Amino acid sequence: MPTLLEHDRLPALATGFAILGSGGGGATTMLELALRDERAWPFDLHSVDDLDPETPCLAVGFVGSTMLLSERLPGTDPFGRLIGAAERWLGHRIPAICSLEGGGVNGLTPFAFAAGRTIVDADLTGRAVPSLDQMSILVDEVPGIVVTCDTGAGGVALVETERALDIERVVRAAIVQAGGSGGMVFAGFTVGDLRAHAIVGNAARALELGGAFLARIDGPLTALAESLGGRLLAEGRVNSIEPDSRDPHVLTFGIDGSSGALHRLVARSETLAFMTDGRLEAAAPDLIVVVDAVSRDILEVTAISMARHVAVIRVDGPDWWSGSPERLRHVLPSAYGLDELDEVRTDEVPA
Amino acid sequence: MSDRLQLGALLAHPDNGGVRLVAGPADANWAGVVVETNEAALPEDGAGRLAVVTGAPPTRPWQQDALVRRTRDRGFLALAIPEADGFGAGTRALADRLGFSLLHVDRPMLLAKACWQLVEARDSLTLGYVRKVAQSIEYHAEGLADLLRHLSTSIGHGIALIDSEGVLLEAGGRLPSEVHAAIDFGPWVDLTKAGQGAAASVRVDSPSREGLRVAFFGDGLDDRQLSALAVAAEVAMPAVAARILIDEVAEVSDASVSSGVLRDFVDLRGRPDPDVERRMLERGWRTTGYHLAFRIVGRSRVDALQLLRFVTGALGRIAVDSHATTSGRGVSGWLTFAEPPEPPQVERYIAALRDLHVEARRSFNVATAVGSLASGSAGLTSSLGEASDAVRIAANRSTTGWFVRVDGLGLEQLLLAWTGNDTFVPAARSLLAPLQTGNGELLTTLSAYLDHESAVAPTAAALGLHRNTVATRITRAQELLGVDMADPEVRLALHLACRAVR
Repeated sequence: MPTLLEHDRLPALATGFAILGSGGGGATTMLELALRDERAWPFDLHSVDDLDPETPCLAVGFVGSTMLLSERLPGTDPFGRLIGAAERWLGHRIPAICSLEGGGVNGLTPFAFAAGRTIVDADLTGRAVPSLDQMSILVDEVPGIVVTCDTGAGGVALVETERALDIERVVRAAIVQAGGSGGMVFAGFTVGDLRAHAIVGNAARALELGGAFLARIDGPLTALAESLGGRLLAEGRVNSIEPDSRDPHVLTFGIDGSSGALHRLVARSETLAFMTDGRLEAAAPDLIVVVDAVSRDILEVTAISMARHVAVIRVDGPDWWSGSPERLRHVLPSAYGLDELDEVRTDEVPA
Repeated sequence: MSDRLQLGALLAHPDNGGVRLVAGPADANWAGVVVETNEAALPEDGAGRLAVVTGAPPTRPWQQDALVRRTRDRGFLALAIPEADGFGAGTRALADRLGFSLLHVDRPMLLAKACWQLVEARDSLTLGYVRKVAQSIEYHAEGLADLLRHLSTSIGHGIALIDSEGVLLEAGGRLPSEVHAAIDFGPWVDLTKAGQGAAASVRVDSPSREGLRVAFFGDGLDDRQLSALAVAAEVAMPAVAARILIDEVAEVSDASVSSGVLRDFVDLRGRPDPDVERRMLERGWRTTGYHLAFRIVGRSRVDALQLLRFVTGALGRIAVDSHATTSGRGVSGWLTFAEPPEPPQVERYIAALRDLHVEARRSFNVATAVGSLASGSAGLTSSLGEASDAVRIAANRSTTGWFVRVDGLGLEQLLLAWTGNDTFVPAARSLLAPLQTGNGELLTTLSAYLDHESAVAPTAAALGLHRNTVATRITRAQELLGVDMADPEVRLALHLACRAVR
């Protein structure tokens, strides 16, 4: 039985995907506004188990600069031509749609641009990740994947390869050509592939997280963290922001904890690791959620500014990534060239 | 506590490999030290020790945080590692928060050696210091100050020559006054700590100067370092004592040479003599220009050399070219000006010399006289002569504080002063010896008679005698002396002789 999503669940859904963004993935605001029109609602959200495993499926998402996306509005049908190209290549219509990335703005893309397709509650990441070769079906090396993307001025590129890194590189180049941001589509897989090789039920998790967050938004931070099934790691003031000497995309934030502890948050386009008094407390694929301690806004990395009073909450990342060392290898901090941040000594971390 | 390795002692160690505190407590001390090439090789049980890691640390802030945290979690109290001075504010704050000392070290192996010396090898520390003392004695020193500089540079701590009043000479730092005050001048060796500072001092066995000590000092020295430095001080002491003696001998001989040159110059009475000129120039004494001479002599026994030492020091504070040397029982000297100074300027310099005199009187019972301003070689001679004459007057002038200036004196004063010298007075005595018979009434009468223009009546009135008595006594004196008192030359000589013996 599909879950029926009423319009009033939109804030919870969006908030949930913002939490799953772990500081990245882009603000959900644009698509929230696109989905404000009640005529599009309600949506049927199908579990992978509800559908025939042979059902072909595609995954949609925006890539490139999410900040640019909020300045250059996507059209009403940004994926139409991309899906059309994929269907022509594969020679059949694809009736099911899911999200490419289960964190940030892309969590909402299937809802905004389903165009009559069956929405499947699954995605290829379960959280925000920066790179296309980190898509779960590429990590698990599912064969026959076809990728289409914008190249600008109405152009479409199609990539079919067995080397995941090529997808990242070719699509990234095409998106730069398209002006820095654009849409992309993964196709060539079925709903059955999603069962084993994707993060399933992530929209349901977003609804749960978002609902819990909104219910406790005015309460104490500890309670807020607990309502997410997570733990409050820190509450304090941002006192330093240092760019990394080796990788300009890496920022290290210093946070003066109100309890006196000294925290460090290491981030790229997403938050990746968190330390208290020199001890690692959380690391990707954990979700490290930074919240403005006063307004309770969920902050993207770019919004963490000096002297801002923030709270940091650790929430378990998607289990799928921990399923095998090979999967984990793709999302640990070391995947981004960050040394010594992989191993959280769970024995000493209080529950 | 003394068995523990102290941060202060390590910082004070001269060969500590450039260790410095980056963050954490400044008064830390540790149970020992562990040296390893990298953090991973450190033992699991830090046991309150200092960890010295010779390899470079990680560069990223979170790695540095983690390094500090892990080392501390292993039970170490401090970490010394190269490049720690590049650690960011966050990591430093973390070390502060954890009460963990983070030390930067340029050369970790040297630090390891310093730790070893402090913890386990006191004799090695002592021997190291002693060898350095020996090395510094090997080098030529210009004087005592130079020797102390050599010692301080070589040992790596400050050194001071002190007496109970204060510091006489120091090199390589300043001995804090509270440390000086705490030093016990009694024993042969003294180890003192006061506040941050500490000193190891040894009595200087010098025949010429009593109550001196030579002290090595520094901040944060621990007991081991102090006792090692005491040994070093004991070894250095004979060299210091010998140097004091050598310097004194050199000083005496230099003063006697100067004194000889000045004597020769004065004896020339302004006549040019190339040899004397050359010897004067060798001492930096120019006869050209304008000179204001002064002479300082002891009213009682005064060590001319010590007086000269004082005067030379004090002249240094008068901003004009000046020279001084010992001469007879005192010191002669002069100020030299290239251009003729204005009268107010001269007054200022005379006032400065008076200040010098007043200051000198605190330590020496002296009288001072200043000659008049004169130019050239002859002028210098005459100014020196005037000062030399006038100082005899000054020696009896308590009313002016035993200080006179020639241009403030009458001619007769000078004349008398001149007759007061060592050759004239005995001559006068023997000349007038025949008059000493009886109770000296003949001498008194003769003096009064000469004072009263060789007139009998005023003399009688002055002495309260009858005129005839006066006339008789004068005739007798004339006979006894065998002189012709009608001769004005004879009268003058007699008059001066009377004054000289009076």
